Amino acid sequence: MSDDSEIITPPSNLQSKVQKGGPGAVDLDAIERAEQVIANLADDYVNWAKEDLVKLENAYKNLKEGKGDQKELLLGVFNVAHDMKGQGGSFGYELMTAVGDKLCRLVEKLDKVGPKEIEKIRIYVDAMQVIISRGLKGDGGKEGQQLLMGLEVLVQKS
Amino acid sequence: MADYNLSRLNFLIVDDNKHMRALVKSILHALGVKSILEAGDGADAFKELRHFPADLIICDWSMSPLDGLDFVRMVRTGTDSPNPFVPIIMLTGHTEMHRVMEARDSGVHEFLAKPISAKGIYSRIRAIIESPRPFIRAGLYFGPDRRRKENPNYNGVERRKADKGEVEGSVSSISDKLKEPSGNEDKAASGGDGGGDGGEAPELSQDEINALLNG
Repeated sequence: MSDDSEIITPPSNLQSKVQKGGPGAVDLDAIERAEQVIANLADDYVNWAKEDLVKLENAYKNLKEGKGDQKELLLGVFNVAHDMKGQGGSFGYELMTAVGDKLCRLVEKLDKVGPKEIEKIRIYVDAMQVIISRGLKGDGGKEGQQLLMGLEVLVQKS
Repeated sequence: MADYNLSRLNFLIVDDNKHMRALVKSILHALGVKSILEAGDGADAFKELRHFPADLIICDWSMSPLDGLDFVRMVRTGTDSPNPFVPIIMLTGHTEMHRVMEARDSGVHEFLAKPISAKGIYSRIRAIIESPRPFIRAGLYFGPDRRRKENPNYNGVERRKADKGEVEGSVSSISDKLKEPSGNEDKAASGGDGGGDGGEAPELSQDEINALLNG
């Protein structure tokens, strides 16, 4: 690679299309309204999460039954868990993000699975189901923290 | 606080998850954005760019068949790219340091970690508005200047030395901060998913990502 770089001025930038201040400009109220929009979507989120849980369950089942290439099957679990991880906290379900992250972290370092790994994945899938079925918003409060601690113990044991 | 009026900007949202698209779209509407187009993956988005004059793209990383990084590279360096200079915000749950650097090196302007918030989205949009960056063509890279702190006055085309050491310095300073074991950079550089070695790269917070990107 050459040590030389070429600097190019873009033909336009956003400053030419935005005005600062005035009617319609973003202010604290607009930010608050936008955050409220997210809060209002939280009920919809629960239904979306239930759909994702069905997908996660299917991906888990395929992995357990070994239908196909293990890396592909693991990727199937990872993709759903990753989506759920990203969505959870965005809709006020931070505990879902925390558990989804743990599942992603477990799955992404695996090339193949045995009974131990299957058991661990099952524990996380169950926990994600509990979060939605019990409506554990935020960090889940005391129940959520107990769930997290219980998860760690179970995963260490398995 | 009186900030920017976004009503004249055209946004393209690229995400294979319709719920996340709905969320981002709702947030943008609440911030006063009127023109928003959605695409379900990188290939669709690239097609849309041919007729939609996007001012800003908010793009998810994990998509198929064309993922977010592939899409960014196509926009930046594709010979038939309709808009190689368009600002791109990469939206993703992949926040390990090597992922952030990979996104930056593909040519994104900003990196927004999931879970997302209205404040988070607006802060990235504002950063792009307030800090327009020149584009750099260096070797295989074409995209916004990755050295954000330097704001040289320039007129037209210039040439300068690429400062590889500065980039490596910013990476190692965050590495030190996170107290990662030595050798992690080597692992990160492989950029692969699930290497099977049992190691874990720590995920960065949005503040840490901003610090990393700002050098």
